This record gives sequence, structure tokens and C-alpha cells, in this order.
Amino acid sequence: MTARDRTAVLQEVARLIREVVGEAWIEDKDIGMETSFGHDLELESIEFVALGERLQTHFGKQVDFVGWLSGKELDEILGLKVGDLVEFIARCL
Amino acid sequence: MPLVLANGLSQNAVELGQGSRVVMLHGLLVGSSASWYFTCAPALARDHRLLLYDMRGHGRSSRAPRGYDTATLAEDLRALLDVLGWRGPISVVGHSYGALVALRFALDHPERVHKLALVEAPLPPSRLPDLQAFFALDPSKMAESLPQVTRHFLDRRGRQAEKLLASLSHLCFETTALADVRAERDLPDKELARLSAPLLVYGESSSCREVGERLARVIPGSKLVLLPGGHNLHLESTAELTQALADYLGG
Repeated sequence: MTARDRTAVLQEVARLIREVVGEAWIEDKDIGMETSFGHDLELESIEFVALGERLQTHFGKQVDFVGWLSGKELDEILGLKVGDLVEFIARCL
Repeated sequence: MPLVLANGLSQNAVELGQGSRVVMLHGLLVGSSASWYFTCAPALARDHRLLLYDMRGHGRSSRAPRGYDTATLAEDLRALLDVLGWRGPISVVGHSYGALVALRFALDHPERVHKLALVEAPLPPSRLPDLQAFFALDPSKMAESLPQVTRHFLDRRGRQAEKLLASLSHLCFETTALADVRAERDLPDKELARLSAPLLVYGESSSCREVGERLARVIPGSKLVLLPGGHNLHLESTAELTQALADYLGG
């Protein structure tokens, strides 16, 4: 997977995050590889569930988002960055 | 999955994994489908088709002003299962007040329940530890009675805290949730004895522990498992609870 592909995945993930949050502030928010879901975006847990659903619909079965979470402790999930998710998706595609 | 219209409500439901069907119910007030999604569900989804959903007034489901008694919540579940085509026998897992809804569902529809796992079911429901704490506290002190992960959000005083407090304050002050829970009656032993072979999971240091001991005495074929922790075992003993559920639910 090239850097260009990663950029494309990041754009898709950012778009899905904006869709899930659905509030005005997120439209102008920079979402990059270093942006954290908890600290920077302050995503609610239920929004993160909705994001998982959209990822599954968008990327299909080859991206096993829930399987990826199954190896993680809750603290680790709370500290995830957008880049962690993008790297994971890039590895699956 | 989009929101599902069932029993006059918009219900937020998530299906995960492949295998035998299992629906998982969360606890009252701070619970949602996320309670299971980020704890036990990912590992269980390897061998089961899981349905997680937000009860009315919780998560992304309709903020209904009333109907928080177990009979109505069990009816919400029945309607949801019907709409999703989950008509055959399924397994039902519930935590806290969600376990009481699971229990009610199993009593009302025995033909639809294959296995029943109750995690920290409080009986009578007014024993609910969160609730006792809520009744005793000033609203500004509510946070202290909440699970650690919830307090983590509140302590940061940001968007997550704002959303959480809005949801809690809606449930507590603009719905009949607390009154419905308080009005919920205890279940007599004779009624409980109609159930068979449930898994009962309680925390070693939980104030509900003796409820588990009573249920184990009264319900034939019960398996009681005690795990380290208090009421919120999905957070306090995630791996152990996941294993207990996996062993009970089978492959």
C-alpha cells in the first residue's frame, strides 16, 4: 500500500467520522493521522460504534473492525488515533 | 445497520459476527450498545451472531418519555427481534437492569429463548446499585457513583461529558425511568422457577451478590459464577466475563 493509498483511506475515514458526528463543528475540524478519537475529537462511545458500522459497510468484510478491537483493552481503545485505524484498514486492503 | 423502527420506537441496533444468535442487553442510565461493543462482544462475535441495541432513552434510540418497566422493555425487544427476522430460539445476555429485561423476556416468551445469561441482575430492581446511589445523591454528585470509564469522560469536562450529562439528566428528570424502576416488583420464587439452566454471573464484591445466590437456589440447573469486581463486571473483569459467556453459550 502506497502513501497515496493511505491518504485516500484517511480521507474516507475522515468523511465517515464527519457523517457519524453530524454536527457543524466537525466540518471544519482537521482530521489527520495524529488526531485522537478520544482527546481531540471527543467521540462518544456510541459514535465510535456507529463509525465501526459504517466502516464495515464501506470497506466490506475484508476489514474486520470488530476483530481488530477484540485484541484491545478499553484503555487502548480510548487512546486510539485516526492513524491507527487508517494503518489497520490499509493492511487489510 | 440503520435505525430500526419497532414497537413505535426508533431502535439503534448493531449486528456483529457469524454463528448462533445472541442478543445482548445493556444496563440502565449510562449503558448503551457500546457497553458490550467495546468489552465482551468482539471476542464473542468470532462464534456468534450478536445483536447489540440501545434500549429506549439510551444511546441513539428514541428518547421515549415513558415505558422503562421491564414488561415494556421486553416488548421493545420482541418487536425488534420480529422486525429483524430473529424469530427462532436465541440466547439472551443481559447486564444489570438489562438482565431483568432479559429475564422478563424469557418468562414471557420461553419458546424464543435458548440460553439465558444474567450478569448482575438486581432483584428487586430497586436494589440496582447505580440507582441507590442516584437516589441518595445530589445531582452534582451523581458522577461519583458511575463506572470509572464514565467518570473519565466526565472529568475531562468536554463534549463527551456534556453528551453524557444531557443523556443522564434526560433519563432522570424528563422520563419515568427512575419511577418505573422503583415501581418494578420483585419476582416470586415460583415464577423464577419456570426458568431453566441460566448462567448467573455476579461480582465477588457486588452488593447484588446475594441475589445471584438466591436465583441459583431457586432456578433449576443454574450455574453461578463469581468474578473479581463489583457491579460493572463487563468493565472490571472483561476477560473473565467474556470467557464465562463463551463457555456457557458454546460454539
